[in-house]
Amino acid sequence: MPKIPRLAQLVLVIGGIYAGFWLIFDLLLGQPIPASLMRMYMFFVVTGVLMVFTATEESTRQLVDPIRALVEEPGRRLMRNVVFFVVPGLAAVAVFLQMQPSDEAPLELRSIHPAPPSSAKIFGKRYDLMSLENPYRHLEKDDPEQFRELVTDGGEVYIRNCQYCHGDKLDGKGPYAQGLNPVPLNFQDIGTIAQLQESFLFWRIATGGPGLPKEATPWISSMPAWQEFLSEEQIWQVILYLYDYTGHQPRSWGHE
Amino acid sequence: MATPKFKVGAFQARGGVDQGGLPVLRQYLRLIVIFLTVVLGFMSRPAFPAGDAEKGEEIYAQRCTLCHGEEGDGMGPAAERLNPPPRDFTMAQYKIRTTAFEEIVPVDSDLVRMIHDGMPSTAMPGWGDVLTEQDINDLVAFLKTLAGLEEEEPGQVIDYGAQVPISPESIETGRKLFHQDDRCSECHGQAGKGDAVKKLKDDSGYRTWPRNLTKPWTFRGSNDPRDIFTRITTGIAGTQMPSFDDPASDGRLSIEQRWNIANYVNSLAKTEKIVRPENTVIRATRLAGPVPVTPDDPQWQEAPSSTFLLVPQLIAAERFFTPSNDTITVRALYNQDEIGFHVEWDDRTRSIPGDRAAKKVSEPGLGEDAVAIQLPVKIPTGPEKPYFLHGDSRHPVNLWSWRSGSTTEDPSVALVTARGIADKIVRDASTVGLQGRGSYHEGTWQVVLRRPLTTVGSAEDLQFVEGAFIPVAFSAWDGSNGERGSAHTLTTWYWLLLKPEPGNKPWLFAGFAFVLILLLEIWWARTAMRRVRS
Repeated sequence: MPKIPRLAQLVLVIGGIYAGFWLIFDLLLGQPIPASLMRMYMFFVVTGVLMVFTATEESTRQLVDPIRALVEEPGRRLMRNVVFFVVPGLAAVAVFLQMQPSDEAPLELRSIHPAPPSSAKIFGKRYDLMSLENPYRHLEKDDPEQFRELVTDGGEVYIRNCQYCHGDKLDGKGPYAQGLNPVPLNFQDIGTIAQLQESFLFWRIATGGPGLPKEATPWISSMPAWQEFLSEEQIWQVILYLYDYTGHQPRSWGHE
Repeated sequence: MATPKFKVGAFQARGGVDQGGLPVLRQYLRLIVIFLTVVLGFMSRPAFPAGDAEKGEEIYAQRCTLCHGEEGDGMGPAAERLNPPPRDFTMAQYKIRTTAFEEIVPVDSDLVRMIHDGMPSTAMPGWGDVLTEQDINDLVAFLKTLAGLEEEEPGQVIDYGAQVPISPESIETGRKLFHQDDRCSECHGQAGKGDAVKKLKDDSGYRTWPRNLTKPWTFRGSNDPRDIFTRITTGIAGTQMPSFDDPASDGRLSIEQRWNIANYVNSLAKTEKIVRPENTVIRATRLAGPVPVTPDDPQWQEAPSSTFLLVPQLIAAERFFTPSNDTITVRALYNQDEIGFHVEWDDRTRSIPGDRAAKKVSEPGLGEDAVAIQLPVKIPTGPEKPYFLHGDSRHPVNLWSWRSGSTTEDPSVALVTARGIADKIVRDASTVGLQGRGSYHEGTWQVVLRRPLTTVGSAEDLQFVEGAFIPVAFSAWDGSNGERGSAHTLTTWYWLLLKPEPGNKPWLFAGFAFVLILLLEIWWARTAMRRVRS
């Protein structure tokens, strides 16, 4: 099998990665990466691949030689002239397209799990979020029967209030989820409540979207401030339900 | 018996939301997966495994009681806030089934399918990703005990005869049958939008609505002609959808006639009203002439349309749980002086307070239908926007609203400056030149709202700018569904863009880039040749 020239390899690798992105995100997942983000990714890809291809002097030479030969060897003059015309032509087309006014939606970046404040005012009281614990959690060991009842109560609170967005299956795919931006959190996902303390959930549920810090874009979150609709007890119960149904464990300081 | 059926169609996604990508290729991929599943399924499991009702009861207690109730009577804690309500399993009324009208007992695969796939546009999700096939069979065995059907033989599956393929002739025959003596249009409406004015109730006394046949992604079964044929043949148990294969009825249709109607219903889909998640920008088209005044002006159809999901207002008091409007379709046109929005949404009822016919089909407390366009007073310069639910104290929004009027009042346009759902100041729309006009036709409202691009002497109104991304959101009220005040549907923020003409700048810059690179190349070649020679 003839060896593929290094220059062609370089183009193939970068093109392959780009095609891979397209195949996975556009075609299979149906969720295209925004163009601005894609440009950033490809910048790193191109930089990285160039670093690998020029790691040694030998490999650098293999990469540069064909280009140099094209410019320096008189026998390749025709080829050179063609390339020298095509390259600025492509650049001109790229500039032309780039200069067209964009009609792609601006990218909105947000922090999904913002850092909680050390304390928060909820139900007219001040809570120290660092030390706050679920008052019912200890019943899991101390009184399993009462604990089950509280989980059941939490389930009722959930189905009457939360399932519209977060879904029957707690997977963030409730009946109205797709009409919201940002989409509701998927509690089954290992990256959500399994990574959080119960006090964080208490803060997020009680103060909702309007209680988010700026980096988490409170103006678009459709999470209601549940302290207006639920009691403190109901919020702790629904937290028990979230962990019970998904089988996740809340994070704790592990001081035992 | 058959393995669980998968719906293979363009409209299976929940809420009609297109999942994007290349539909054809994705369908092929899906077909391959289904094919492999079926083949592997048959290889590994020669017989359909029987369900264990006791195991099914455990699964039911864990997964189903919150909606369907501990007794299976559909009276779980969620019930009163769900529309449609959860199924009452004690009544043995299974809507989506393949057994004949006079049969009470469904075949197991009917129940398996509903559990596996769920019911689109309801709170019932598909459980196929959580429960195994055996789990679902166990659950089916238990569900049958709730209706006392555990000892009964499955009913006879309907006769499908020879399927009539989709063709213009079949669709035309079906169209005539659909409208003949108002056979289907009596309830489903002339255009199939479920807007014919009759108040329907199911056997439990709940309000039911004839399906809007132009939105097949809301069909509880699919819009595959075979599924539609099944509904026409079996009727829908417990509702006023009759069987058209009932031997006791003189309305009985032949198999061929039912296939033709199925093909016609399949053809009614309005695919431009599918929500596309990537379509978040309303691109206003620039006109040389005036912005059209009437909603049915054909010029509107030239502007690209965007369709958004409407969700009920669940966030602030009073919360609203049972909406009827589900999507809104928007177009925008502008010229050097003014901008016009064309909004369109399907609403089964034209709500006219004071009108007797309108009152008859309305829920208690008939109000006007209405729509509102929400825009920020100031175009945001950073990421921060007004709170999407009618603004906040530091970021006011303009609401341009249009109301449908009553028997004594004309339709009206209002301008509101809002700083939150509870802080609204109603202003005179004419001071800024805000005008609107609406029309209702066959189950669809179309409303045009227009305003000059800029207003004089008002810091309380948005000044439109070409090329800027302007947040825009929408609200809608169905006055026959008890929607008024905070009880309404709404969208989240989307974008409006008045796309300017690019001008000659791109040409200039492209030419400059070409010349610059060419000069660099020539310089490179010259120095290289000189070095080679020396």
